[in-house]
Amino acid sequence: MASATHAAVTAPDPDVVHGGHGYATNTGISNTKLGMWLFLGSECLLFGGLISTYLLYRHPAPGTGPAPSELYDIPFTSITSFVLLMSSLTMVLAVSALEGGDHFKFRLWTVATALLGSVFISGQVYEFTAFVHEGMGFTTNRSSSAFFTLTGFHGVHVTIGIVMLVSLLLFSLRGHLPRERAEVVEVVGLYWHFVDIVWILIFTVVYLIPG
Amino acid sequence: MATAHGTTDMIVHDADDPDVNRNRQYVLVAAILAALTALEVATYLMPKDLQHTAVFAVALCVLMTIKFVTVTLFFMHLKFDKRFLTVAFYSALALAVAVYLAVLATFRFFWPADQMIPR
Repeated sequence: MASATHAAVTAPDPDVVHGGHGYATNTGISNTKLGMWLFLGSECLLFGGLISTYLLYRHPAPGTGPAPSELYDIPFTSITSFVLLMSSLTMVLAVSALEGGDHFKFRLWTVATALLGSVFISGQVYEFTAFVHEGMGFTTNRSSSAFFTLTGFHGVHVTIGIVMLVSLLLFSLRGHLPRERAEVVEVVGLYWHFVDIVWILIFTVVYLIPG
Repeated sequence: MATAHGTTDMIVHDADDPDVNRNRQYVLVAAILAALTALEVATYLMPKDLQHTAVFAVALCVLMTIKFVTVTLFFMHLKFDKRFLTVAFYSALALAVAVYLAVLATFRFFWPADQMIPR
């Protein structure tokens, strides 16, 4: 019994750095990070399905109202896309700051990332509202349903990312996010960058390439 | 401490500081991404008849792919991380692309508009 307890105490934590040269896992990658990458891989299939559905339904049936492409405000969407792209820079700078042990800069860049994400979401809400006022609601036609579902799902992902960023900030302010746990921030960063690359696809395929 | 970028046990504030150099690299990558986005948006100002050509769509897809890969390589650290992660993520992405290209082809997405399903 005593030896079993001893073994439990001394057993290596697979998510703890092993000798400074990787992790004590079969892959040498922490389970947390590997799990996030596999999750992001599965997200490719989710967004692939939503983008494909939009492409198939982008032309509404005749007489069922406007198509989304008739209402796009490309200059406005370009600005919000640029804002989201720049939030990836602030996110990676936040990760870098915590890895360097600079907690002040980490909090600064995290707040900046959350704010940029909020600006993007505000822009999306404004765009949706403008579309509804133009006569294109969620159930107006098959094209609008596909459009709102795709961009709405993406918006929900950004919102979840903002919640995670605010959580990280609160953890940091309470002293629960030391430099040794920088990987937690890196994993949240992976999610945030993924949301960004999905928008890179949506912006080009849905907004810029004409139907 | 081992991170995606290796061991960083000391904080040194000079030009040779790897953190400073890495941050400069991130800013440079962001500037390139911003320039590519500006290029993409500039295509919107081109004549409408040119926008409906296949070359135009292919050019936008190339720019999109460059931006996508750049973010995964530098901001998501795939360039610096274990190769296994690159293989895992891009395998899933390749699967998704293959599956949905097949779906689009099934619905005759690549055919002329009047032959596409649904009409």
